[in-house]
Amino acid sequence: MTVGDNRTRIDAHGKVTGEADYPADLPAEGALHGKVVFSGQAHARMVAMDTSAALADPEVVAVFTAADVPVNEYGLTMFDQPVLVGLNATGIADVASDVSRWEADQIAFVVAESAEAAERGAAALEVEWEQLPAVADIDHALRDEVRVHPESGDSNAYYTYRIRKGDMEAGWAEADVIVEDTYVVPHQEHAYLQPEAGIGYIDSEGRITVKVAGQWTYEELGQILHALDLTEDKVRVVYTAIGGAFGGREDMSVQIVLALAAWKLSQQGETRPIHTVWSREESVVGHHKRHRGRIHAKWGATKDGRITAVESVGYLDAGAYNYTTNKVLGNMHLTVGGAYEIPNAHIDSHGVYTNTVPGGAFRGFGAPQGAFVAESQMNKLAEKLGIDPVELRLRNTLQEGSIGITQVELPAGVSMPEVIAGCRDRSEWGTRPAQVSDLKVFESLPSATDRTRTGRGFACSYKNVGFSFGFPERCDARVEMYGDDEIERVVLHHGGADVGQGAHTAFLQMLAEAAGVDIERVEGVFSDTGSSGDSGSASASRLSWMAGNSILGASEEAAKAWLDGDRPAVGEFRFVPPATETLDPDTGVGQPNFAYGYVAEAVDLAVDIDTGHISIGSVVCSTDVGRAINPTLIEGQVEGAVVQAHGYAISENLQVVDGHILNPRFSGYLIPGILDIPDEVDSHILEIPDPRGPFGVRGMAEMPFIPYAAAVVAALHDATGVWFNEFPLTPSRVLAGLQAAGFSAAG
Amino acid sequence: MMYTAPVTVDEACQLLASNSAAKVFAGATDLLPQAQAGRRLEDVLVDLKRIPRLMNLEVDDQGWTIGAAASAARLAEHSQLRSEYPGLVEAVALIGSDQIQNRASLGGNLCNASPAADSGPSMVVNEARAVIVSTAGFRTIPIADLVRGPGETSLEPGEFVAEFQLDRPAARRADAYLRFTPRTEMDIAVVGAAARVAVDDAGRCTDAAVVLGAVAPTTVRVGGIAEELVGSTFDEEALARCAALSSEACRPIDDKRGTKEFRRHIAGVLTTRVLRLAAERASEQR
Ligand SMILES: Cc1cc2nc3c(=O)[nH]c(=O)nc-3n(C[C@H](O)[C@H](O)[C@H](O)COP(=O)(O)OP(=O)(O)OC[C@H]3O[C@@H](n4cnc5c(N)ncnc54)[C@H](O)[C@@H]3O)c2cc1C
Repeated sequence: MTVGDNRTRIDAHGKVTGEADYPADLPAEGALHGKVVFSGQAHARMVAMDTSAALADPEVVAVFTAADVPVNEYGLTMFDQPVLVGLNATGIADVASDVSRWEADQIAFVVAESAEAAERGAAALEVEWEQLPAVADIDHALRDEVRVHPESGDSNAYYTYRIRKGDMEAGWAEADVIVEDTYVVPHQEHAYLQPEAGIGYIDSEGRITVKVAGQWTYEELGQILHALDLTEDKVRVVYTAIGGAFGGREDMSVQIVLALAAWKLSQQGETRPIHTVWSREESVVGHHKRHRGRIHAKWGATKDGRITAVESVGYLDAGAYNYTTNKVLGNMHLTVGGAYEIPNAHIDSHGVYTNTVPGGAFRGFGAPQGAFVAESQMNKLAEKLGIDPVELRLRNTLQEGSIGITQVELPAGVSMPEVIAGCRDRSEWGTRPAQVSDLKVFESLPSATDRTRTGRGFACSYKNVGFSFGFPERCDARVEMYGDDEIERVVLHHGGADVGQGAHTAFLQMLAEAAGVDIERVEGVFSDTGSSGDSGSASASRLSWMAGNSILGASEEAAKAWLDGDRPAVGEFRFVPPATETLDPDTGVGQPNFAYGYVAEAVDLAVDIDTGHISIGSVVCSTDVGRAINPTLIEGQVEGAVVQAHGYAISENLQVVDGHILNPRFSGYLIPGILDIPDEVDSHILEIPDPRGPFGVRGMAEMPFIPYAAAVVAALHDATGVWFNEFPLTPSRVLAGLQAAGFSAAG
Repeated sequence: MMYTAPVTVDEACQLLASNSAAKVFAGATDLLPQAQAGRRLEDVLVDLKRIPRLMNLEVDDQGWTIGAAASAARLAEHSQLRSEYPGLVEAVALIGSDQIQNRASLGGNLCNASPAADSGPSMVVNEARAVIVSTAGFRTIPIADLVRGPGETSLEPGEFVAEFQLDRPAARRADAYLRFTPRTEMDIAVVGAAARVAVDDAGRCTDAAVVLGAVAPTTVRVGGIAEELVGSTFDEEALARCAALSSEACRPIDDKRGTKEFRRHIAGVLTTRVLRLAAERASEQR
């Protein structure tokens, strides 16, 4: 059995020894250096750009601007962003090329003999801007005095989902208690280790090639082809070691300009590769964030704890461009009512353009925002009703056969009740006090023990696995079996990206199992549009689920060919899951997803009531993975997700003022250090098979992130009696909240 | 840019006297990040770490001599220093991480003149002295006179700090240092507080002082602490009055790390806790 085995990751050796090539490490000998120039303008129209001083520098080779881009628009789900903001753009773009809508709109790509010369060239660009009023936040945007995208619709609130279910009046009439609040959720930065980087060159077959770190080779290929107006045989996208992604590489950064420069320079006979690496500051400023937003929610329930009605109006800040906002918003929309049976619902969710950093994909993809609201509402209902919060959840939970919030039956395999009960039992909920070992967060500032309060919190969630809302979901695999009498070697060609989660190791384990050979006999060729098909993105917790199914299919095909005597025996397979639907625009009716993952968390907390410092002790994360292909890798995902969620909930505080990020460095944007993270993360892995998953697999990598913030807030309430509707729970925010609730100053 | 590594104090003085564009450094843990952030490096950089006197760490009946370039890690590992000045050691052991402490020096921490420098409050509360040298010879100043404001010291061109001096502490006297940072390590003080306390046989306060960091352009010695505490046994009410004095003494700014109100409040909290800690230590010391 290789499925279920704790195989060491196939990339571990290279990463530990430093052999693995990340895009910043690619052999740069003899390479030219590219510098992406940001506009620095939250909202402004370019009046003039003079590149002559830059080009006069003997070491500057070229300066690419909007005028060089054949079709000056791109975007993952809408072509609403210029590749380069600037003048004299030709081509067919709908979006005006001359307006910077965000401080990191790219205005030029300077190519030079050295990184220093590229910097010099960038500094020598003379650009004149006409300032436009910047739309700084959601409230400002909703006034519609200034439009970020006048070409699209009639409001900055450009994308809306609705749910109209049941009879709200009846729902409120039935309710014995009502809980109503407004929640504010923050931005979050992905903070992956490898900042944006890559190399562009012409490969031996004459293809424009970009080697980068991304999440979906074919999508990037498609956007490059669109912007450069080229056909598929002319361009190739290859991934190196990726260095973390978390959704932050779903949208593009350096890919198009690298392809553009390699292409244009080769036409002039310049064939040296072009290398570019962003600094940390450029990375933080230059790629999208988890959406900030504001959501108002009103829930009603009967005395015996049945939810009768859910009303909610939410806004997510899309920033300057759509990126994946329309999809993230949809997910928030589906999760903002929680994983519960809700008879009556009235939910509106809006995406809003502003002149700030775009919101986009980030582990959880809208579900963390939705779950924070839903689970906080649930915990408040429990308090008001005097019912244990876990018990209240069990009375309302979605279960097999439940009709979901979009008025269709959930895909089979609903395990929310088992996951909630599993977490309750594993965490000894209700039978033991909070355990926070030694308040280690206070190491530099020991708390007086009489100034510490402890508490426990619980939250749960569900989230889709795979692409939603009618997207033509699919995944390709190719399996080749070599040998004579027996299968000696099996080679997998697959486009799925190993962003650091260990996907390729899991693929090979599934391949060995499917092909019935020893793990030593399988190998993979990955993430190269020159040799692998389209596997879709490493996102939406979909890769093990989708790739596993494609590998099963391709192995079966290859095995047939083997029996037919083919040597090598080749199997190609495109897996297509059950179709999903776009939701009805007025009622939200429809089947948005084909699979879900389920998770619950119990969190132990201590807070220093004089300083607002929070310390987290034990975290029990019960997560249904369907089938653990590699339990160690799953534990890694659970622990990593909890730590990342810990930063989101407590310390990561991106400061954006008038469209400008004020803390683009890790000395000011505080991701948790090793001494800040929970004492213990108990990865409680449940294996309740997903009936359609390969070997029963469910997607899991996002789930442990999702309920954490709500569980921490619940624990803080348990400790202090104070609810927090906004995070991160920085010491100053916690202290202000406690003081407002009448906690007295230091003694 | 030229890198130089003199091996005597004289040689270093000469280098500084003959190059107006020369700058000394020790661990470079402030210097290099500043250069990376765009500050121009001086034409001549004088590395002080090869000069034995600057790396010295010595104690005799007269007191302590700490070379200005000795690393924080060496100070933190010195068990006698730890028992005589636990608060100072606490402060240097908070600087950055293990890696940073292997390079960072007291001289650099103080002469970089950041209001948030962790060793500042401890050095001031313990009434340390700086021995300054140039081709004109040596002079000794109270540590409180070394830093003038953010990034600004009282050193004249051609001068650098050779070493620091501390008296041996009297019996039943001890110091302590606490700082507040949102992140446990690798973070910069929002407030730092050092206390020095002396007690009698009965545990009654005979002397006390508190110095704050990161709440004003330079360290702040809080007035009135001894008056509140002498004769007391550090009871709640007296400590609360000290906390109020500290909050009052702050001249903080609003910045990314904290608001004025938050800093004032935390200064009070730290004052209470750091005085208690120093008092406990003093009572345990004979
Ligand atoms: C990751 C990181 C974390 C950090 N964390 C902290 C922290 O927690 N707390 C804290 O206080 N600091 C912190 N720092 C700042 C820094 O490490 C300390 O200030 C350190 O003590 C500086 O010592 P150094 O020897 O490296 O100084 P250098 O960088 O060598 O010098 C700093 C300045 O002092 C001058 N100088 C050095 N020696 C002398 C001398 N003998 N005479 C005259 N001038 C001199 C130099 O010219 C320069 O201007 C951190 C730095 C980094 C990079």
